[in-house]
Amino acid sequence: MSTTVRQTTPSFRSVAPAGPVRPPFRDNPRLILAGITLLLAALIAMVVLADRSASLSPEFLSEAVLYALTAADLTMLVALVFVLARNVIKLIVERRRGLPFARFRAKLVAAMLALTLIPAVLVLLVGSELLRNSADRWFSAPVDEVLTSANQIASDYYFDRQVAVSDDAARIAGALASVDLMADDVGPVRDLITPEVIAGRVEMVQVYRVAGGPGAARPEVVPIVDLAAPSLPQTHSPASADRLAARALADGTGARAVEPLAGGGDLVRAATAIRRSTDGPIVGIVVASTHLTGELAARSRRITDAYEAYSQLRVLKRPLQGVYLSFFLMVTLLILVSATWMGVYIAKRIMRPVQLLADGARAIEAGRLDYRIEPETADEFGSLVEAFNSMAGGLAAGQRKLERSQADLRRKNVEVEGRRRYIETILERIATGVVSIGSDGRVSTVNRSAARLLGLAPAVIGLPAEEVFGRADLQPLADVLRGLTARGDQPPREVALERDGREWHLAVTATNLQSDADRGGGQVMVFDDVTPLIRAQRVATWRHVARRLAHEIRNPLTPIQLCAERLRRHFSGAPTATRALTDECTGTIVEEVESLKALVDEFSQFARMPAPRTVPVDLNALLNDALRLYDGLFNEIRLDRAFAALLPPVRVDPEQIRRVVINLVDNAVEVLRGSAGVDASRHDHPGRVVIATEHDAAEGVARFTVADNGPGISAADRDKLFMPYYSTKQRGSGLGLAIVRRIVIEHGGNIEVGKNGERGTRFTVELPCRS
Amino acid sequence: MKQFVISGCRVAGASVCALFVLVPALIAADLVRVRPLYRDDRILVSFELTDAFSEEVLASIRSGLPTTFSYEVELRRAIRFWFDRTVAATTLAASVRYDNLTRRYHLSRTQDGRVEASEVVEEEQRVRDAMTMFERLPLFSATPLEANSEYYLRVSARTRPRGNWFVWPWSRATASGSAAFTFIP
Repeated sequence: MSTTVRQTTPSFRSVAPAGPVRPPFRDNPRLILAGITLLLAALIAMVVLADRSASLSPEFLSEAVLYALTAADLTMLVALVFVLARNVIKLIVERRRGLPFARFRAKLVAAMLALTLIPAVLVLLVGSELLRNSADRWFSAPVDEVLTSANQIASDYYFDRQVAVSDDAARIAGALASVDLMADDVGPVRDLITPEVIAGRVEMVQVYRVAGGPGAARPEVVPIVDLAAPSLPQTHSPASADRLAARALADGTGARAVEPLAGGGDLVRAATAIRRSTDGPIVGIVVASTHLTGELAARSRRITDAYEAYSQLRVLKRPLQGVYLSFFLMVTLLILVSATWMGVYIAKRIMRPVQLLADGARAIEAGRLDYRIEPETADEFGSLVEAFNSMAGGLAAGQRKLERSQADLRRKNVEVEGRRRYIETILERIATGVVSIGSDGRVSTVNRSAARLLGLAPAVIGLPAEEVFGRADLQPLADVLRGLTARGDQPPREVALERDGREWHLAVTATNLQSDADRGGGQVMVFDDVTPLIRAQRVATWRHVARRLAHEIRNPLTPIQLCAERLRRHFSGAPTATRALTDECTGTIVEEVESLKALVDEFSQFARMPAPRTVPVDLNALLNDALRLYDGLFNEIRLDRAFAALLPPVRVDPEQIRRVVINLVDNAVEVLRGSAGVDASRHDHPGRVVIATEHDAAEGVARFTVADNGPGISAADRDKLFMPYYSTKQRGSGLGLAIVRRIVIEHGGNIEVGKNGERGTRFTVELPCRS
Repeated sequence: MKQFVISGCRVAGASVCALFVLVPALIAADLVRVRPLYRDDRILVSFELTDAFSEEVLASIRSGLPTTFSYEVELRRAIRFWFDRTVAATTLAASVRYDNLTRRYHLSRTQDGRVEASEVVEEEQRVRDAMTMFERLPLFSATPLEANSEYYLRVSARTRPRGNWFVWPWSRATASGSAAFTFIP
């Protein structure tokens, strides 16, 4: 099975090069089939060869076949060593690299090898031993003796016939020694040899004369008589007799030959030189031949062939054994190589898809959900790969769905965050204080206005509400929360808080928050600072009262004054005592009427104060201008300036603000002058009034303070200070600070009074400004 | 330990190499006597293989197997610090087949596969001589030889059929011999 990786994202892995890719051998079923077929054919050929080895030439077996088998054995041995060494080296390398499945392949190969090694080697050893024993039995002594004896008989018979023919040839040569072979007439020669042929002692006689005469430099034999029996087959070759005669002439003695005939049988020839005397020169050659019939020759040849085959087998015993042993060895090596290769192949077949699946799992783990493995087979591994791809596809689809959900969630979060920031900004910017308390009873939200109005630090967030609102000045709010817890939502109500000697009026609305689980979702408390509103209402009330008073009082004052003056004139002529009494009474009436008129004028002025005509003004300059009036007026009191630099301009009516400043400074000076604790002569505690300015960018106000180190004002009197017709001074209408407050309020500002540290009073005026 | 293993491997490798080199060299002992002779612009080669007819060879001949002695004759020039150069080479072969029925030996000689002579003899001594003795064979031309240069003739002999268990593809000659000479025209 082969498996390849397919990818859907080009950036994930480089795309395979275009064009057909030849699959490796292990993945090519046709090549594998061809290889197996070739191997089977080789084995069949070897079996056939082994079966026919008896009919093959031993030399062919011992040379060609042994060569081929030895080469095959060496090749397989090298292949086995190569496969094993490669496997071992790969195992070492892969284990060093920490690659997975290295041990698995080694174990599989070792198992396959172990399974086949023992039986294969056993077959080799047993087969070799059997072969060796069989070969030894081939050459047993009786067979050897029989074959040797038979061959000896056959060859002796041939030898005897050769000797007999030689004897005949010698006898004929001796008879021809007296015949002139050089004569043209060969009749004597023929007459001499004809009886030999007729008598059957020889079947053919050929006589040659030596051409060129005896002793010639290059003698040659020339046939002169050729006489053969009619029974002799005509297939013999005359040239054979000529060569034999030439050889006999060359040797000077005799020569013998055995010539196989085409029709069967052998022709035994013997050549003998013809000499006229024993030591004389050769004058001729006689060749005598006798025919060994076909049956006899064939039997003799078969005997000799059997003997030679037997002898050749004995000679080639070791090479032949080598052939069979090589065959066994080759089969054994073939089994081992096949087992090893099969182990590697099976391991690859198993490991490859598993490795790819492991790689795929790692890729999936790394988030590459587009990783796919392309199955090419329909077996179990193919199903596994399909399941993996299906899983990866499901994961990819799930991830896409999740990403879409995450995107939606992010978008909604952004929207919610925007909305939250929007609400938070509103909460931070609005003048309404908002405090929320979580279901756990802890403060979760305190906006800026709430912190300012209630004097809470940002650190209170997270603290228990009971602890935060357990403060003495916040007890009314604690009561609101308790009522909310006990009785549910409360209608808006107004509470008054007293903090730092000042009374705050808040319109409070408290609501329980409901959660989806219908559990306690906490509370939210919203409150508005209605102190300026109440003050304004009070001022308006007082203005109305002042207007009514001025109107109601002013009208009778003139008749009263006129009546008193009329009485004084009427009693101007009365006795002295009466006149004095009258003058005293009328004087008192007129004086009090004047006083009432002045009072009515002030009330009238308070009621009819004009609207401020604002212009951009440098507050520091305005204060300097106002304070310049006091230069050199007091020796025992110091007026100090602590102005902030870069104060933005404020839009005010300069005359009205100057009046505010003068009023506040006058009050401070008057308090310091009437204070027993302040002594100008004492350096350790001189009278001191500090006029300071500052810019509160966060609140968008310019603030100036007038602080003295006098005896201060009690907490109970502080809020009443700004009420009309209330004064701590023995003389005064009680409208000064009421007018001051009215001016400040009509400028959109605020005025507060408080303690100046350890001693004295501080008036703080806030005026809106644009930085 | 590692060094020991490496050195053990080296020793084993050297032993195997020595086996491959020395054993064939010992087998191919100097059993061929070679005599060169220059005449008529030819190098005449005479050589004789001694102790060639072992019992094994005789048994092979008497069994009727065609038995061949082949000789590879090389005319070489020695080159210092490099492989020797083969100037010319030829292969001679002497074969014999014994007919146990007629008790005759069929002899033949070839040069580079070309039959040069054949005969039938009865005497074993003639067979021995024909198989092992070669006299004044004009095998090489002297034209390419440089005057006053050192050359040598090397004759390597092999016998067939072999009587071994296996055939070693890289087996060297059964016997060999050489003779150096200075070529003086």
